[in-house]
Amino acid sequence: MSIQVEHLTRYYRVHRKEPGLRSSIRNLFHRRYECIKAVDDISFAIEQGEVVGFLGPNGAGKTTTLKMLAGLLHPTAGRAEVLGYTPHRREREYLKQITLVMGQRNQLFWDLPAIETFIVNQAIYGIPELQFRRTLDELVALLDLEPLLTKQVRKLSLGERMKCELAASLLHQPRVLFLDEPTLGLDVDAQSAIRDFIRCYSQEHSVTVLLTSHYMADVTALARRILVIDDGRLMYDGNLEALVESTAPYKLLRLTLQQPIDEIDLAALGQVERYEGLKVTIRVPRHSTTAVAARALARLPIADLTIEDPPIEKIISEVFHQGVVYA
Amino acid sequence: MTLRAYLRLLNIFYKNTLMSELEYRTSFTANVLTSLFWLVWAALSVRVFFFQTETIAGWTYNELLVVVGLFFTMNGLRQLFLQPNLSRLSEYVQMGTLDYILTKPINSQFLVSLRYIGVENCGDPLLGLALLGLALWRMGYTPGVIDVLLFLTLVASALVILYSFNLMIQTTTFWLINIRRADSLVWSLLEAGRFPVQFYTGWVRLALTVIVPVAFMTTFPAQALLGRLPAWIAAVALLMAGVLFLLASAFWRVGLRSYSGASS
Amino acid sequence: MRNLLRAYRSLIKAALITFFEYRAQVIIWVISFIFPLVMMVVWLAIVSEAGQVSGWGRSDFVAYYVGAAIVHQFTQSWATWEWEEQIRTGDLSFKLLKPLDPFHHIFTQIVGSKLFLLTTVLPIVLGLIWLAPGINYTLSPARLAACVAAVIGGFMVSMLMSTAFGMLSFWTTQSGNLYGLWYGVGNFLSGFIAPLALFPAWMQKIALVMPFRSTMGLPVEILVGRLDWAGIWLGLGITAAWMTIFTIIYRLLWRRGIRHYDAVGA
Repeated sequence: MSIQVEHLTRYYRVHRKEPGLRSSIRNLFHRRYECIKAVDDISFAIEQGEVVGFLGPNGAGKTTTLKMLAGLLHPTAGRAEVLGYTPHRREREYLKQITLVMGQRNQLFWDLPAIETFIVNQAIYGIPELQFRRTLDELVALLDLEPLLTKQVRKLSLGERMKCELAASLLHQPRVLFLDEPTLGLDVDAQSAIRDFIRCYSQEHSVTVLLTSHYMADVTALARRILVIDDGRLMYDGNLEALVESTAPYKLLRLTLQQPIDEIDLAALGQVERYEGLKVTIRVPRHSTTAVAARALARLPIADLTIEDPPIEKIISEVFHQGVVYA
Repeated sequence: MTLRAYLRLLNIFYKNTLMSELEYRTSFTANVLTSLFWLVWAALSVRVFFFQTETIAGWTYNELLVVVGLFFTMNGLRQLFLQPNLSRLSEYVQMGTLDYILTKPINSQFLVSLRYIGVENCGDPLLGLALLGLALWRMGYTPGVIDVLLFLTLVASALVILYSFNLMIQTTTFWLINIRRADSLVWSLLEAGRFPVQFYTGWVRLALTVIVPVAFMTTFPAQALLGRLPAWIAAVALLMAGVLFLLASAFWRVGLRSYSGASS
Repeated sequence: MRNLLRAYRSLIKAALITFFEYRAQVIIWVISFIFPLVMMVVWLAIVSEAGQVSGWGRSDFVAYYVGAAIVHQFTQSWATWEWEEQIRTGDLSFKLLKPLDPFHHIFTQIVGSKLFLLTTVLPIVLGLIWLAPGINYTLSPARLAACVAAVIGGFMVSMLMSTAFGMLSFWTTQSGNLYGLWYGVGNFLSGFIAPLALFPAWMQKIALVMPFRSTMGLPVEILVGRLDWAGIWLGLGITAAWMTIFTIIYRLLWRRGIRHYDAVGA
């Protein structure tokens, strides 16, 4: 077992402040604190080599969980174990086997080419020269870093910088990767480049990856298993397809009509979600999709027809509204 | 990690900072000229006091220049080695860079304390030593071998003491997130070291010896060089350096525990 | 004008709120009062060795430098560094888009910090002074008014002086350093290193016509009652003159600088 988490809990004490000068003055002498349950009794286990996506809205507790696993935060209660170590002890041997990448946070030296950071990391992790060269070569090839290595970091684009961040974080060949929003703020091309890299790398090295992201595409492309967390609680743990099946037992039939027809005729096929001009979207139960499609083709003047899964964003937001749905 | 590995790291770090500095080509000459200005300023301002008297608390003008020179040297060393690192600590906390430092398999105190070097300030210690030499020459005084050894011991302990003191103050950033002016605070406290502690009276002198280690920074090394310091004070300085260093390291660990929210 | 006042009210309030948020600043400020007191300590050491210095005894120096420490806090201005930062980072461009001259942003921020001092730190310091024996300032209401006027004038002089130096940031990255040097020269002529009365006559004459005395020596001399009304009026007049001079210099440099800034396209 690579990661084992039992009843993990973390509370924060935050100081509350109302707007205005008067409350500022009051705050000078007396601060009011509030207890926030950032992570509330979460349990899960991850095998070595699994890639797991961590989903949830802002402030749901994803980053807090990740930080506890990386050893940066003490749990308020419960237990976490990674590679047999207790993270918050931050033993050297443990730290040498993990890595943490946070989107839009910088560990590279701003005014120097990225290669300088790599050399520093080599010294910090005590990576032997030969292994360093070999790993670096591999990363350079996979991430297409060659032209970036000798440019000052401040002159790199956001996407290029993230590539270098990833390389810097992987030089010591960690077995567990914690990636917190690695594609945050990147353009679409850069996002998919980073995504492809993570997929390739994790398969090649059979590393454990725990990944949080805002972008559903990251998660669907990389993770077969997802954890959905909201308000500090684990709402779902299982594979993506099963979640789609259980939360959204329907598909979307998208039709382009040759001529307008009465909406009642469409309603006979299923629940009409959208009818604008000649474009129609209909919700159809999963198991009868093909039958309904055949019926539509036979009876209606159809120019084009596609069958799609509902957008994953929608499914996730349904999970949040419905509450716990264990697969 | 072995001591050699740490030294290797320091070597890489300092080369790194040097390279970034060259990136900006900070005007080295402008800095040296500024330092020279302040050195002359300090010597002249001390001169003003001697308009009225021959000695102050037993110190002559030339002897006072030794203290002023030492003040420049020590303050310069502080700016060279300590200030560029420790003043970044609150930035690390705010920007989240500290998370990266803490996930590295290396002593975090080392990384936080010695990562950078204030290359542009390397003129100050030299200028200070020059003033010190000039003052000794004006007196026509040559210190003996023992005096110099004592002096060096005191300077070394003073650096450790300064470092520990600085680290303790900066570590408070874990509780007081916004401590922007802490650095200038340390600096203005150390300003007291421009003058020998004998200038101060009563509890202020005691505080400047025991709480804010100003006496160890300038007065004692100067006295050692002038052959006026009992050797046992050097022993006290060494002891104090050791104790303060341990205290500061312990405090750092407490700060880290609070950062990670270990229930205490 | 009404709009400017309204803007001032909200900007100063915002500055105040920021300062109240950072409680640690209070302690730091209280401690940074010590700075001029280091000079006092030297003079006390001299007095205790050589007796009275030109008629100045122990309590005279204490009263002078405690006053100086307070006045210093209220008159100092860091506008040069503020301008340097704004111009270097290009933030000035955003400020230029607003209908309010950037000067007012910096001015209100600094005024806010002074009001903060006035409401939180000053009472603490006055309390300490009241507890400490031997210091008492006896001031007639008229002198008190003159003293307050001198402090405000001194603040304006140092605000406008540092702003004028800040304008140099349009051409050089060293404006903060240059102001530092200028300030260093000023330390001799402001009454910081020694009360001006202890200097040779020729230096006193130079100090009288330079702007530095307004920022420290003048208010303190009024406070400790070492100045007659003729001297007070002369000092206030010179203060007003320097306010005008630095305003003119600042506006001239501003106009040239902003043209340069546009041309460079920062």
